[in-house]
Amino acid sequence: MDANNRSRVLEKFKSYSASIPNPSIDQFKSKGGKVMGYFCSFIPEELFIAAGFLPFRIRGTGSLGTERADEYFTSSNCSFPRHCFNQALSGKYDFLDGLIVGTSCDTTRYIYDNWKKSQVKTPFAYLLGFPHVSGEVMAGYYRKELAKLKTALEENFGAAITDDALRASVRLCNETRSLQQKIYDMRKSDNPAVTGSEMVSIMVAGISMPKEEYNRDIKELMSDLETTPSADKAYSARLMIVGSCGDDTVLSRIAEDQGAMVVTDHTCFGGKLKYGAVDETVSDPLEALAHYHVLTRPFCAKVGGAYPLRAKVIIETAKEFNVDGILGQRLGCCDTWGGELYILKDDLRDAGIPSLMIEREYIPDTEGQLATRIQAFIETVRR
Amino acid sequence: MIIGGCDLGSTTGKAVVIIDDRIVLGNIIASTPKPAVTAQMAMDAAIRNAGLSSVKDFDYIVSTGYGRLRVEFANENISEISCHARGAFQIMPSVRTIIDIGGQDCKAISLSAKGAILGFEMNERCAAGTGRFFQVMAKVLDCGLDGIGAMANISTTPASISPQCTVFAESEIITLVNNDIPLPDIITGINRSVAGRVSSLARRVGVADDLVITGGCNKNEGLVNALKLALGIEIKKLPLDPQFMGALGAAVFAKEKAVKAAHSKGDDHGCK
Repeated sequence: MDANNRSRVLEKFKSYSASIPNPSIDQFKSKGGKVMGYFCSFIPEELFIAAGFLPFRIRGTGSLGTERADEYFTSSNCSFPRHCFNQALSGKYDFLDGLIVGTSCDTTRYIYDNWKKSQVKTPFAYLLGFPHVSGEVMAGYYRKELAKLKTALEENFGAAITDDALRASVRLCNETRSLQQKIYDMRKSDNPAVTGSEMVSIMVAGISMPKEEYNRDIKELMSDLETTPSADKAYSARLMIVGSCGDDTVLSRIAEDQGAMVVTDHTCFGGKLKYGAVDETVSDPLEALAHYHVLTRPFCAKVGGAYPLRAKVIIETAKEFNVDGILGQRLGCCDTWGGELYILKDDLRDAGIPSLMIEREYIPDTEGQLATRIQAFIETVRR
Repeated sequence: MIIGGCDLGSTTGKAVVIIDDRIVLGNIIASTPKPAVTAQMAMDAAIRNAGLSSVKDFDYIVSTGYGRLRVEFANENISEISCHARGAFQIMPSVRTIIDIGGQDCKAISLSAKGAILGFEMNERCAAGTGRFFQVMAKVLDCGLDGIGAMANISTTPASISPQCTVFAESEIITLVNNDIPLPDIITGINRSVAGRVSSLARRVGVADDLVITGGCNKNEGLVNALKLALGIEIKKLPLDPQFMGALGAAVFAKEKAVKAAHSKGDDHGCK
């Protein structure tokens, strides 16, 4: 296998991340399986897997516009949920048997109301409360919210979600995180095993297919990467991407087209997903899940009181991966990430890490300007 | 050693030639629908002014500007942010802040004492605060870009115009015209509006002496005065046409590359 086509799995992941439907979903459904769509990375997939469902993280992949969603939203709402909802209105999410929306940001929250109001006929829709402040009390609150969701799933689908099944799904998802972390670690070298754009595909595929199959695939991928290393690429700077969303390769592609290499990230579809592990030793798995999302990994910028931890993790990651600079991205009209990146910029400067904060749309309308800014940034941080 | 820099911007093309240490500016060429043609026209003008005959005479050429990838005769392209910074620093080493107001964007760049870029900010998608904003307003007022510059400093009661959106600002101006607001008041309002937008970008990178303005909008005296008022510091005059700073920076980078290449070949006299 040559360096350009060095892994069957990598090509599969690229194909899965570039579209919403995929053969693994079809296969799962053909055996009578149910698919549970969900927004945001703090919603635990473990709960759905324990119920026998296939979790599928909602994204806007393939959307070309928001014409249909704009009947429900306005231009003051960020473009990510609008593109996701446009895809739902266009029938791309008709395969879902249920939808879980979390109270992350207001626009995402309104998706729940609009989804139910619209002609999208997903049989089950549920709004999951998520704390906007970190801390033990809020972890307790989230545990209660997860218990309510568990009951709702059991009642609606007649699926018993036992603690044993939950513990098994926690082990399975921890294995996924651990495998993904190993791929990230393979990018610490001077010749990273995969590019930033490839890593996006690897991560997005992980939230689009059954975990057992994904874990098998990712092990095969690791073996492929070890036996067929990537061609030694010359690059001018090692970059990290920080911010929201990140289910596409826009920023990585532009940066890598300009001669840089994206070696790590801290985004909601990327590096944040594989952070740490849910504690398998806690007797109550719901408590362990709540603890993980509210205390161990409070990475949603909406969560107050946890910014110092987020900044610490970002700075440590940047140093660990020996990055020359950070690209911060936020979508237009995202007040949450607007505030987060403004504060972060100063902390990165104090840590000696150059950064460029970028506002973009889900489908960039000014790629030329983005390329100019990223090229200029690379010129200032290049090795 | 013969060196070239070509800045293919959104509204004009400019080129600079450096022959040893002599800097020769070309002419400002209005952009055509074909970027490669505009680039060639801009370069031809500089070649003529330098008394040369062809791009084949050059040791190294760097392109910059929005059309930088379309400059077929360039050896390399470098972003206009780096080039404006390099050009301004080359002819004024005391510069620490650069505001570049170009045809479709504006940028604020902060420099170290050694000329390294410490940070930069650029307008997002909106055209407010750019040369395009002035073009739209000049068309509505039927006074031409020169008219906007010529009527600077006349008004003591400038109109208030939205700094946010070119399309909304255009509507505001039509309303002002229909309300018989004097032209100097409207024009001063336009300059203040753009200055407000640009000054917020500059503050984000940090405003420090010496501050210069590059790009074609520097020729609008009313805007320069409005920026001085908004930023509260003196704006220094560049000793060369500020519209050529991108092309000059590109040429300076080209010279560095050519010298390095000549040294690596062990050819200290790699001149033509």
